[in-house]
Amino acid sequence: MKKRGLHAFTTVALAASLFVSACSGGSGSQNTAPSGETPQQQSPSGEQVVLEMHSWRVEDVAGYEKIIQAFEKENPGIKINFKPFKATEYNTILNTALQSDSGPDILQLRPYATGIALADAGYLEPLDGVKGLEQFPKDFLAASTGKDGKVYGVPLSINSTQIYYNKDLFEQNGLQEPKSWDELIQVSKTLKEKGITPFAFGSKEGWLLSLSHGVIAPGAYNGNGFVEKLLKGETNLTSPEFLLSVQRMKELTTYFPENFTGLELTDLRALFATGKAAMFINGSFELEGIRQLNPDLKIDFFPMPTDDGKQVITTWVDGSYGVNAKSKHKAEALKFMEFMTTKTFGEIFANELKRISAVPGVQSSDPLVNKMAELAQSSATPYLMVVHLSQGNPTTKVTLETSLQALYLDQLTPEQVTQEVEKSAETWFAPLKK
Amino acid sequence: MAKSKRSWLIHLFPLPALILYVMFVLYPLFSAFSYSLYDWKGIAKGAFVGLENFTTLFTKEPFNEMFWRAIQHNLIYFVIEMIVQNGLGFLLAYIIYRKIRGAELLKAAYFLPRLLSVIIVGFLWKLILNPNFGALNTFLGKLGLESWAKPWLGDPDTALYAIILVNCWFGIGFAVLVFLAGLQSIPAELIEAARLDGANRLRLLRSVVLPLCMPSITIMSVLTFIQAFEAFELVYAMQGSMGEPVYSTDTLAVYFYRLAFGGAGGTDTVAIGLGSALAVVLFLIVASVSAISLYLLRKREVQH
Repeated sequence: MKKRGLHAFTTVALAASLFVSACSGGSGSQNTAPSGETPQQQSPSGEQVVLEMHSWRVEDVAGYEKIIQAFEKENPGIKINFKPFKATEYNTILNTALQSDSGPDILQLRPYATGIALADAGYLEPLDGVKGLEQFPKDFLAASTGKDGKVYGVPLSINSTQIYYNKDLFEQNGLQEPKSWDELIQVSKTLKEKGITPFAFGSKEGWLLSLSHGVIAPGAYNGNGFVEKLLKGETNLTSPEFLLSVQRMKELTTYFPENFTGLELTDLRALFATGKAAMFINGSFELEGIRQLNPDLKIDFFPMPTDDGKQVITTWVDGSYGVNAKSKHKAEALKFMEFMTTKTFGEIFANELKRISAVPGVQSSDPLVNKMAELAQSSATPYLMVVHLSQGNPTTKVTLETSLQALYLDQLTPEQVTQEVEKSAETWFAPLKK
Repeated sequence: MAKSKRSWLIHLFPLPALILYVMFVLYPLFSAFSYSLYDWKGIAKGAFVGLENFTTLFTKEPFNEMFWRAIQHNLIYFVIEMIVQNGLGFLLAYIIYRKIRGAELLKAAYFLPRLLSVIIVGFLWKLILNPNFGALNTFLGKLGLESWAKPWLGDPDTALYAIILVNCWFGIGFAVLVFLAGLQSIPAELIEAARLDGANRLRLLRSVVLPLCMPSITIMSVLTFIQAFEAFELVYAMQGSMGEPVYSTDTLAVYFYRLAFGGAGGTDTVAIGLGSALAVVLFLIVASVSAISLYLLRKREVQH
């Protein structure tokens, strides 16, 4: 009897320990001492160098093939092996690989804090002296500039967020692109009266909330002026301008679909693509997804009108590419970095992947992408939460998402939302730190 | 001579298994413990900080708040699973045991969900529970109960319970099998003797069947506890790593994932030290409670 009890106990203890070990398995292998440094492999002429390249864009494999072909044509002797991973697991996979010195030669870097953390931890090669890097605006390079002021990544693409709308639904109801907040509300009202859901919107997934706030908010705080003051510490997140941005998020509630607290991106995409909802706040990266769902849909978008009579488009750098500091083929990898600053690259990227290339002056064959790119040059405002407020634990961006979720569930008031966000930013954001 | 040589060799046989066990269980276990004692800058190991990660976890906002909220959800998970999955499971097993018609078919039917992957179960139920075109709300609408329709997974009042009930649906087949095995191992003559002594059905259940079934009840309770405290897959499949909405479906394991690997699709901050500390705490909770409850429940078992 006793024996059996003991046995059962060990079984349970083992089962329990399996869990912890399963958990710790991924949290990175121990930093192994640099055992027997790999000899500098200078590839003898004529022999091919194969570079490993990691990315989180599983959906872009076909496009990258074209890009790599173009590069390999210009650089015989270098082959690139493009290997994408699931976006949500990419960070973990990359971190583990870098820690165990088995990382790829070329790696896609998350923009801002997450990518910069890798640079600051010494895993990346600085890109000083890579030709063509100087043509990028400073804002773009900021996404991959380390604490030491050096640039560690070539900016790849610019994301923009805006309000997409269904052209047919607007025309049928005699509606025009709104030029002010009041007009936007008026448009929504008309649509609702006609029995059309004005906004394809759902609050089940937090990231969509900060994304939508990123579009609505600059209209309320008039774009860059507020951001600059915030960065200098002259204003904070409980200020009337920022509060107004949250109040507007709440004001839109009556124009959202039924049961919107339980809707996810896939539901919203379907609502918009099938013409059940007339407007959809989302990113440039969503354009292809909507079109694939309904190729006949006539879509356009409008930038956000600000209260001082201008219009802004919210933008940020969506990742960049960097070089592993422990790569055996740094020279070749840097050559690819140089290629990524050229117009040849920018054009293939823009046309194949239907995204806004970060390379200045690149045109794509898609009129909507071009319109986004032009606005991104002329009237950009940063996606505040991603560009400046994506640190802290949980990050201030995540805090805004959770608080907005609570706002829509009537657990928090707009004032409380701004207080939560301010409290989170005060824990780490230098201009607000107390 | 020959005999002692053979017995010496025998000790080598567990070695392959032992090596695997040390590599994949003991080593990660201890490395998780050692990680929890260091300060981490992102994924780079920093200075030794002793128990600071544990203090942070329990005393600093918002970490402590999240911990207590998550552990509460784990407890709710456990209680509902005990009542619905195990209670109902025992009842179903008893009905099958009493030899009703179609017992084999029922057994298979109850066990069927268990054959699906948890992730598939999660997505399946996400579709059923979809607020605007899901089967459940459509069904309620057809019955004229539109007012009952809810965004089940988007409402903090219902989301956690919805997930737990899905888990019960998934796990009940296993409970039925375990209880049925326990019931079937009761010698028929004991039951017959009780009947002859004039015990009615209820009395039979209470004084003969239940006590003799204690071993399977013990093991199911402990397994349910472990499962409830490690609840992760379904929450992750249905609500993501943020325990949405507003952390209302957060559990310790989901919170651990968020700390160690970064929540919000990997864009949130990574805190490996805190994550490892939480894993260690989780291990201590599960191991100690399991051991204690095993000891207590064993005492109540009757031998025949």
